[in-house]
Formats: sequence, C-alpha cells, structure tokens
Amino acid sequence: MNKGKIVSIHSFRGGTGKSNTTANLAAQAALAGKRVGVVDTDIQSPGIHVLFGLDETKMGKTINDFLHGKATIREIGFPIGENTGGAEGRAKLAGKNLWLFPSSIRGREISQIIKEGVDFNRLNEGLQTTISEFDLDYLFIDTHPGLNEETLLSIATSDILLIILRPDNQDLQGTSVTIDIARSLDVPNLMLMVNKALPKYDFAQIKTDIEEKFHASVAGVLPLTFDLADNASNDLFSLRYPDHEWSKALRGVAEAILAVK
Amino acid sequence: MSQDIQNYLKKTSLFKSLSDDMLNALAQNTTTRKLAPGDVLMRKGEIADSLFIINEGWVKIVTEDKKGDELIINKCGPGEIIGEMALLDSGPRSATVIAIENSEALELKQEAFQDLLDKNPNVSLSIIRSYSNRLRFSTKYIERAIDWSQKIAEGDYSFIDQTQQISKNAETDDDKATQLLSAFFTMVRRVKEREDGLKQQLEQLTFEIDQSRRKQEFEEITSTEFYAKLKEQAKNLRDKRAQQ
Repeated sequence: MNKGKIVSIHSFRGGTGKSNTTANLAAQAALAGKRVGVVDTDIQSPGIHVLFGLDETKMGKTINDFLHGKATIREIGFPIGENTGGAEGRAKLAGKNLWLFPSSIRGREISQIIKEGVDFNRLNEGLQTTISEFDLDYLFIDTHPGLNEETLLSIATSDILLIILRPDNQDLQGTSVTIDIARSLDVPNLMLMVNKALPKYDFAQIKTDIEEKFHASVAGVLPLTFDLADNASNDLFSLRYPDHEWSKALRGVAEAILAVK
Repeated sequence: MSQDIQNYLKKTSLFKSLSDDMLNALAQNTTTRKLAPGDVLMRKGEIADSLFIINEGWVKIVTEDKKGDELIINKCGPGEIIGEMALLDSGPRSATVIAIENSEALELKQEAFQDLLDKNPNVSLSIIRSYSNRLRFSTKYIERAIDWSQKIAEGDYSFIDQTQQISKNAETDDDKATQLLSAFFTMVRRVKEREDGLKQQLEQLTFEIDQSRRKQEFEEITSTEFYAKLKEQAKNLRDKRAQQ
C-alpha cells in the first residue's frame, strides 16, 4: 500500500528559506493531526535539526546507515513530539506524530553511495520503508539547492514537489529548469512557493505572473520579514507567531499540500 | 538712557497702555543685556526669574528633536517679549533662546513684573487677550488637522494645495501652530511621495526568463546516462504506483 506521500522541497539557489519552510510545513501538517516524517539531508550545516531543537550529538544513526544495512529505520527516526524542548513554538508539537530522519552526506559518504550504487530503487525503497514502518501520511524531504544527482533522485520519487523561489529573475530562471525536469520525470503534483517577497510588491500580481509563466500553481507568496530573521533558527516561527503574515501564508501552503489527493 | 527705554517700552503691544509714570518705573527696573551671535539668553529647563524684551537684533527660539538636532521653533525681533510664560505659570523655561546676530534685550525681573501686574489690570488683560488669540488659532488648526487626518486615512490628498495658502496667511498668528502645520504638511507630502513611489515600483516588477538558456541547461542535465536511467526507473515507479 502506498499510503504516505513523499513531498520534496527544493530551490534552485540557496538562501530561499527552504529548510525553515520545510520544518514549518512539516510542523503544520503534524499539528493538523497527520503522521509526518522529515528527512534532513544535511546535518553538517545548521539546518532543520536545529529548528527542531536537536544537535548533532543527539543524533545517532542516519539514513545512510539504514541504506547500508547498518541500522533499522526504527533506530533512526527521532520523535519530535516527545522531545519538544523549551521553545515556545515547538512546545505545541508535544504529543504530535512527527519524526526527524537525519541523513549524512559527508563527502566521503557521498562517494561511497555512488561507488556502491545507491540508486533510485534503493533510495525509493528506503523512503517507502520509512513511510510504512512509521505509518506516515507525509514524508518531507529537504533537498539540496541545485540539481545534483541526489536531488534528481529525490525529485523523481516525489509525489509532490514544492519549489521555493524568491521573486527575482535569477530564481525564476533556475526554477524554470527544475520545472522542466520535474515534468520530464512525471512528478504528479508540482507547486511553487514564493518566499522573501518585499512587502512593497503586489503579492497577487506576483502570483498571477509566475503562474502564467510556468503554468504551475503558486501555493503562497510569503513576505520577507526581519521578524523571521530575528527568530534565527531557534524555533518554529509559524507555531510561535501564528498571527504573523508569514505564518498565515505558510499555513496556506500547508493546506495546499494536504489537499492533494 | 532710561528715557530711551521708556519710549521703547511704550511701543510694545504689552506695555503701550501704561501711564508715563508706570513706564518710567518699569524702565528703572530693567537691565540691558548685550548678546553676540550664538550667545544663549536662556536655556530650556532652567528656573525662570525674568522676562526679556528684544530691543535690537534677532534671536532664535530653539528646542531639540529626538536625535538631539537643533529645531528652530520661532525667531523674535525688536519689540517682541519672550520668557513671560514661565513667569506666569512658574514652570521652567520651555525653550532655549540664542542670539542670531548682535542683539540687545531688556531684562525685567519677576518681582517687578509681578508688581506691574498687581497695579495694572490692563497689562494682565492684554496678556490674557493675546493668549486667547493663540488658543483660538490653535483650536482652529487642531480641528482642521483632525479633518485632514481622516482624509489621509481615506487616501485623499487633495487638500494639500489649499494648505500652503493657509499657512501663509497665518504668519501674524501663533507661529508655533504655523510650525506644526508646516511639519504636518511636509509629512503628508512625503507620505504621498512614498506612496506614489511604491506604486511605480509595483509596475516595475516584471519577470524575464532566458528561454534558450533554460533549454540549454535542461539538455545538459537530461543528456547524461544517469538521467536516462533515472527517467526510466521513475516511469516504472509511477506506473507501479498507479496500478496499486
């Protein structure tokens, strides 16, 4: 049974707020009562695990260990709902069904993966096992910027691909290629999210323009906000400040994802 | 000397109703203060114990804005009286007064001023009259400011053109109200300019995609063996999922 959906979050360039968005979307889905997993693809840089209040020392085994047969998937999933920590926003996730799956992509391990041929089928199998073992409704994957092979694998296996872009020409250019790739790989559900839009722009116009350019749905246009930058990576912004414009728009994107049949 | 001062006092609006005897007594009680440009006549916050009648030259009445920059509230010249407010309400100096050029001011001490008011109801009356005028003027502009604020909230800036005229006419009235008005209109104009500017930027936000570069980058990625295999595997997966 293919119950759970794989949701890949991607952006062509870095700095779009991708990890932050992924963590908040996953948290919103969990808050809505869904069983949710998040694959953190980079524990080297301060990424998703920081938003969920984890540091590297708390994380033992990674997806890579699972792919190499060195660990069971049960050993890897870190239950956020049981470890919300002190942060005000995260505390709302207490008792919710949300797991973080760290994966390690240190240089040596990447070359190992390529050498040992961790291919599409093995990755997909790993993700499907993760979904069935934890009985997940959604498995979010925070992919790497750009279109390297690992990212292409992740896009290819997705049920839903959410591309995050800023409203500028460079991001649009890169997004256009990602969209073409996603269509070439028959990703069934493709949606866009515009982040870091300056409040002086007409958000409705941005949405219409980009939808026309790409013939793809823009699930939300989120404002650039210093409040979010202030919050840094310490908490889940949309849970801590639910009435903020950014949080409202993010919930709209989460609803669009949850509405996919 | 005292006669000169007496004649001079007789020309001021506040003391013109006084008898020669009174003027003479008043003149006896004044001392002359000579000021070079930049000299401070009084400082904001100080305890006040005298008023000044500008005899010669011009002074500026200043306060500080939030950043600590000097803000000129008003300028006063010959015949004008400053500092009487603090003597009437026993408050500290409400502003600082600095000479703009070589000036001369007549200083009248509190006791002499008080004595004058006690003996001459006319002086008290004329002070009350001048305050009534200022109050009436201020009230009028507060009413207008409320009206204008409502218009701004509705996005109606059409009143701006009328206002310049009003502030020009107001020169003889309370200068502080004029000052407030002028600051108010500067603010409205800037808000309007910013709003217009933003509207312009909205129009400027257009997106361009280089289609040939898009095609080229797509081909670079999809022309590899890795991609051909991935596409086939992905297709199989989708077919398999569709059957389930």
